[in-house]
Amino acid sequence: MKALLKKDIFVLIRQMRLFLVMIIIFSVLPGVNMTTFAIVYCGMLPYVAMAYDERSKWTELAAMMPYTPGDIVLSKYTLGWMAIGFATVLSTAAHLILGRIFPSAYSLALSEVFPSLCIGFIMMAVTLPLMFRFGVEKGRLLFILLIVVLACGGGALVQGMVGFDGEIPVALNTFFSLGIPALAVVLTAISVPLSIVMYNRCSV
Amino acid sequence: MNAIEMKNVSKSFGDFAIQNLNFELPQGAICGLVGENGAGKSTTIRLLMDALRPDSGEISVLGVDTRSPEFQQVKEDVGVVMDEAYFPETLNARQVGSIMADTYARWDAETYDGFIRRFDLPPSKAFKNYSRGMTMKLAIAVALSHSPRLLVLDEATSGLDPIVRDEILELFSEFTRDEEHSILISSHIVSDLEKLCDYIAFLHKGRLRFCMEKDALRDEYGIVSCTKTQLANLPREAVCGVEKSPYGARALVKRKLVSSALQLDRPNIEDVILFLVKGEKQA
Repeated sequence: MKALLKKDIFVLIRQMRLFLVMIIIFSVLPGVNMTTFAIVYCGMLPYVAMAYDERSKWTELAAMMPYTPGDIVLSKYTLGWMAIGFATVLSTAAHLILGRIFPSAYSLALSEVFPSLCIGFIMMAVTLPLMFRFGVEKGRLLFILLIVVLACGGGALVQGMVGFDGEIPVALNTFFSLGIPALAVVLTAISVPLSIVMYNRCSV
Repeated sequence: MNAIEMKNVSKSFGDFAIQNLNFELPQGAICGLVGENGAGKSTTIRLLMDALRPDSGEISVLGVDTRSPEFQQVKEDVGVVMDEAYFPETLNARQVGSIMADTYARWDAETYDGFIRRFDLPPSKAFKNYSRGMTMKLAIAVALSHSPRLLVLDEATSGLDPIVRDEILELFSEFTRDEEHSILISSHIVSDLEKLCDYIAFLHKGRLRFCMEKDALRDEYGIVSCTKTQLANLPREAVCGVEKSPYGARALVKRKLVSSALQLDRPNIEDVILFLVKGEKQA
């Protein structure tokens, strides 16, 4: 798996310099939205790597090399997790350091970064099996559809729960602090074996 | 031991099917898999590397069933070269070497660097900027740098100029000087295979028409040049394919089934294949 990760990192560093710079900029900009943007961008890196694999027909060659389907699938998850982790650490460090210099701008509490991290994991867990089954081209369309549904649905749900007084109900707070991390763990635990099944089905 | 064994292998894709393929490659031998585009050569290679599952039949490579978990280990002993390099094109030779060092347990960086120097490949240049010949040399360098016992080459010489092709064929000959080393090479450049191979397997429309020793194949058939009347007098079962012209006819015949008095030319492999395909169309 180390070889596959190395390949993806070589390719992404070469091809996606601007994309990587944007991730760094979003990570260090103040506010939870910017951090979430950076994390969502990082969660998309596995799809980008898969698109390059498909273009170069690497997938066909890899199937004949001593990589197991588990290696191939897990390498994409690991790439995403590492990238999300990198953005989270960078964002946290930026908020800790720059928060001392510009306390009003960098008021983000560390606990607010955590749900963003989990959302990144959930996004990958939901979409990667689709990518392995349908390929990046079709998978990307499903990904966009999913993001629109989640953003609209989630936004409407939160707005409905918050109400006019702007006070966040306890249930919503609990969901953010416990429900989202639990959902990320459960979905990831389902997603990885599901992706292996999808990958195997595609290569039959 | 056979390096490759395929028994009654079938795989259907709807409009195309590999049908009941039986094939053996003895260890230490070089076998050329010939066939027109779409004959099933690449599918056969994907099947024997377990990149594709057969609908039925058994396949073993280096004595191990390709569906068994142990086959993962056998892939360490197989060097694969496809019709292109199939590495992401932004990588350079040095990065490819670094990735392969983490892929193959027996990766030999010195051997790889030796090939890179021998082939005159720029190690830091992205290989999308390589010529086709250089790209194929990179793929071959990778395939030969992890001490494989079997090379599986899918159209590895197609699209290369004769000088590069000759250089690469020489390398494959070097590889088989070790009697444990075997090669399966698919190509539609029959002259390359004739130069290199001990066995020739001919795949046509998903069926294996023959798999024979090269010399035995050339001994089995003969080409007769004759008039149309003489052609009509030949035993029907002896004639495998005919090429008619306003001046007469040429026919591929089975030597054993015609009179020894008949003047026969020794065919090359390309003649045999072309006549057999024509014979099928005429039937």
